[in-house]
Amino acid sequence: MLSRIAESMFWIGRYVERAEDTSRLLQTHLRLITEDTSSETEACRTLLALMSVDHVEHPTHEDLVRVLGYDGKEPTSIFACWAAARDNARRAREVIPLDLWECINTTWHQLPTGRFRTSRVHTFLDWAQERSALFTGIARGTMVRDDGWEFMMLGRSLEQVDMTSRLVASASLRTGSTQWPSVLRGCGGHDAFLRTYRGLQTDREAAQFLISDVRFPRSLMHGLVAASDCLRRLSTVNGQAARQSEFPARALGQLRARLEYADVGELLENLGDEMTWVQEVAAQVTAAVANNYFVAEDPTAWITEGTR
Amino acid sequence: MADVLANYRPGAAFDEMMDVDGEVRPSYRALHATLDRSSPAELKTIAESLANNYVQAGVTFDIGGVERPFPLDLVPRVIAAPEWETIEAGVAQRVRALEAFLADVYSDARVIADGVIPGQLITSSNHFHRAVWGVQPGNGVRIHVAGVDLIRTPEGDVRVLEDNVRVPSGVSYVMTNRSAMITALPDAFAAQRIRPVASYPQRLLAALRLAATPTVDNPTVVVLTPGVYNSAYFEHTLLARTMGVELVEGRDLECRRGKVFMRTTGGLQRVDVIYRRIDDEYIDPVHFRSDSMLGVPGLVNAVRTGGVVLANAIGNGVADDKLIYTYVPDLIRYYLGEQPVIANVDTWRLEEDDAREEVLDRLDELVVKPVDGSGGKGIVIGPRATKEELDALRARVTADPRGWIAQPVVQLSTVPTLIDDQLAPRHVDLRPFAVNSGDEVWVLPGGLTRVALPEGELVVNSSQGGGSKDTWVLSPPAHRPSVTLAEEEPAPVPAEPQAEEVPVRPTGAPLAARPAVLMTPKVIQRHQEEQQQQSGRAGGGDAPC
Repeated sequence: MLSRIAESMFWIGRYVERAEDTSRLLQTHLRLITEDTSSETEACRTLLALMSVDHVEHPTHEDLVRVLGYDGKEPTSIFACWAAARDNARRAREVIPLDLWECINTTWHQLPTGRFRTSRVHTFLDWAQERSALFTGIARGTMVRDDGWEFMMLGRSLEQVDMTSRLVASASLRTGSTQWPSVLRGCGGHDAFLRTYRGLQTDREAAQFLISDVRFPRSLMHGLVAASDCLRRLSTVNGQAARQSEFPARALGQLRARLEYADVGELLENLGDEMTWVQEVAAQVTAAVANNYFVAEDPTAWITEGTR
Repeated sequence: MADVLANYRPGAAFDEMMDVDGEVRPSYRALHATLDRSSPAELKTIAESLANNYVQAGVTFDIGGVERPFPLDLVPRVIAAPEWETIEAGVAQRVRALEAFLADVYSDARVIADGVIPGQLITSSNHFHRAVWGVQPGNGVRIHVAGVDLIRTPEGDVRVLEDNVRVPSGVSYVMTNRSAMITALPDAFAAQRIRPVASYPQRLLAALRLAATPTVDNPTVVVLTPGVYNSAYFEHTLLARTMGVELVEGRDLECRRGKVFMRTTGGLQRVDVIYRRIDDEYIDPVHFRSDSMLGVPGLVNAVRTGGVVLANAIGNGVADDKLIYTYVPDLIRYYLGEQPVIANVDTWRLEEDDAREEVLDRLDELVVKPVDGSGGKGIVIGPRATKEELDALRARVTADPRGWIAQPVVQLSTVPTLIDDQLAPRHVDLRPFAVNSGDEVWVLPGGLTRVALPEGELVVNSSQGGGSKDTWVLSPPAHRPSVTLAEEEPAPVPAEPQAEEVPVRPTGAPLAARPAVLMTPKVIQRHQEEQQQQSGRAGGGDAPC
């Protein structure tokens, strides 16, 4: 597969997943904020900091919705994610099934072109999650499991790891009894969690569920395993790729071991730092994958070309 | 309910649907009947769904880097079978003659020695590239794809307006227009047999594979695009997708030792045939424009050493130069020993003194075109031009007579077109596409009908905001297949599995009469039993009937 196309597929996977997770994160936060006693500015600032946004002074509710939601100029917004996904899909148009392309293109056309009232926020966020779900469903139903699929799922898995780690970190930032259930709901995992732990749940179990329960599809562990699987399947194609996937596979494996065998109490004590580490590994793996598979052109290659 | 056609009155031009007495031409009868049954509201709904469909599918044409949906009008252009035979023969004939001409000018140039065409005309063409002189492409073909623009005069004759043998575009809209129209006007399709257009990609791929250097066994074909900002990017993606080949940009390719490779996740992979959609000037910064970011350094060298085959070949522009165009009837007679099937539009060569004098006198009533322009750029329509524009044109023509030709203003034929909620006549042209495999020149039945949407407008180019129509070539009655929906002509791709193999319907009892054996597998039976048991308990032991 063309390196450029592989890169596009990887980023389509990431952006669509990011749009969904950002929407989940924002929705969770907007629910929490209504029950929160700390100041609005403080709560909004923490969430924006979590999403690596630091340019908004005294953020309000509205700022939050704008920056993470509909503002096309903000690189973290759901709008920007879909625009970027569509841009990548347009470049990889020849390898994407028609239905999947139409799903991306239609979503892009339906993106809100301007600000909307707070009352519409949840409608927008629900819509955003539905579009990602539609994308995922069509992709699963129509795409051949070739390299393009693997790169897309690799991107998606890494993004999911990154975003779940942010969601977990957000839960640790506040005290109060309602945060973990809300975070679990944000992940769509509250019911699953209740069934798994039979009502004996505590914060500790909730964290464990989101971090290391491989059976839950939005857990960190699930994403890490899925990413490792993608890398392994990509590496079986040829010997060169086997070498290429060495570093990313090792980094992911080390992180998995750490999260699997760490003492949960310890994890919870330093949850912020631990989750930052997860995000760093995801970034390193992304850089290594880009370097290994999406090779930049060699600008000097043609100079050796004689005109003989 | 003849609302939409009640006020339809063709103007001075030839109308494709209605003759001068207001009679509907035979080829349009079925379509006319369908339209006649429709109310303005219905047509508007169809038009909206067509537009919507194109927006969702991203069927776009980029103008100045902005994506716009390519307008598709809901009334098709219909071409009767016998007329199509003439067009098909005429287009193929021109391609064969131009192919012979290109082979000649890039080798012995007999055509000059024999005095058919002035040598100076060729060497002064901006698109004659000495860099490829003497290069013999894989199977000798230089024009793999051609688009020949045709118009119909008020007298009803079809004439050639120009040849496009560099990178003609628009064929993707032929295919998307058809699939959109099948859902928009199903009745009209049911009423007659329209020749399908979907086999184009297979034909093209087969021709491109045949174009490879003979020593290559299983050639790798790619489509080379300038990128997402190119006006025809949609087309490039569609062709790559429907041929199942990679769509590459210049930066994906690399030349090494006279061979071309693409950068893949598994390393460098050899490329044998490039269907390029980049103009010569941008294709190789080593040979042409050194500031081009779109091309591949070393590509011309690879072509010269036979390491790769470009389709269409470099330097084809000399054959679609509009001044050479005036000689094409002579070229047909010279190379093929045949009379031209389709005539040219009358054209003045401005480098001939008498012609130039006459044209300069009559600038206000003629169309003047630059010889190497495309997309309607630089064309001056005399009757529309201001005095300043004509003066400027006069100066430019006098300074560079080789650069211009002049033609009379031809009133292109018209086809009913939906304007607001009425059908009104609008001018059209037609670009049929030909694929040359080396063994034969195949002409796609139909082609792109472009329509000028403003009233009276004669410039139909897409880059000038024109729209399009589906083009229906009617099957001759004798060829009418009885039931099959498969392609009428199997694609000549050897040893490739056929994409659409429809299983033969079993003869015997009709489907409805067969027992529904698949309806009750064991699991479901058990499930039903459980349900019955449960309802039995809940219902307090009701006796079954």
